[in-house]
Amino acid sequence: MQRPPARQTQPVYRTTDVRARVVAASLLALIAVAMAPVSAQTYTGPTPAPRSTDAATLAATGRAREVRERFVRGVAAEERGDWSSAAAEFTRVVALDPPEPKGSSARYDLALAQTHLGRDDAAVALLEEALHRDPRFAAAAANLVAVDLRRGDLVAARRAADHYLAFAPDSVLARYGRGLAALRASDLATARGDFRVLIDADPSYATAHYDLAVVELHAGRDDVARAELEHALALAPNYARASFALGTVLVRAGRRADARIAFDRCAHDAEDPALRALAIDLRDRM
Amino acid sequence: MKHFLRWVTAGVLALGACAGAAMGAEMLLDDTGAVAVSSPPALLGPITESGRTGWDCAPEHAATARSANAAGLPHD
Repeated sequence: MQRPPARQTQPVYRTTDVRARVVAASLLALIAVAMAPVSAQTYTGPTPAPRSTDAATLAATGRAREVRERFVRGVAAEERGDWSSAAAEFTRVVALDPPEPKGSSARYDLALAQTHLGRDDAAVALLEEALHRDPRFAAAAANLVAVDLRRGDLVAARRAADHYLAFAPDSVLARYGRGLAALRASDLATARGDFRVLIDADPSYATAHYDLAVVELHAGRDDVARAELEHALALAPNYARASFALGTVLVRAGRRADARIAFDRCAHDAEDPALRALAIDLRDRM
Repeated sequence: MKHFLRWVTAGVLALGACAGAAMGAEMLLDDTGAVAVSSPPALLGPITESGRTGWDCAPEHAATARSANAAGLPHD
């Protein structure tokens, strides 16, 4: 009896299929490797190791690295409110005297630390130096105006605000700072103009209406002041200072019942205990 | 009589104090200086070594902003 021929097992893949798959996989791997730098998030590479043996070049590279490291540590310290550490880092950066924009930025950051440490004179000098190095440094100009206003130097605040507005005429921060400096120095015309421009730029800003009302109160135009205060309160109903000011205007107009309501509103909304106590006292006298 | 005089003196002093306080309040309301101006602007935050023209420098953006919210202006 003749045995039937043994059944030959067929290979699962033919040789040509295997080759094609290997080629395809290799191509995909190559494409993936080529695309990796494009698709991955890019970070700045490490600073190249110095290739020079020249002493001056090595010193310059070392200084640049120190400036970079101290900036990182100083900004981190300022962000967590550790002003002493920040001052130490930026004092060293200023001493290293890096080129722009690092030089003016270091002075700006050191000024920020100094003013939080109560050294406003040092902060002002640093901000002025930053502006000398970079005359259109708006953040430095803004902080210079703010520090001068806080320490009550109205002449310096006005000078700084004028310079700030000269190169950033559309800045609402510059306009607000100069308006405040002018109002505190009783330059009512400039203050009125600045707060009106501020209202035109941002009509929803209640504080500008309030400050314009204060200008008009000082000018003896109580009706205009009352209208601005009512506008401020329509925009910000819990604006305690505006309620208090409205109460004073209403008392002067002989409207004591309405004034009582305004003082009561102020007493309810005021977070400042002194303002609240004063409002309660005046309410109870109406 | 002595006690009576003491009570009268105390009463006069109390009335005087009340009148003084009331006059003080009226004088305060007549003085426009009693109405304080708004708060000074807050200090802007730190700037990195990239400087004010660096990527997304928040303090410089605030210093040149055209709206109160973007500039972080005070609300009191």
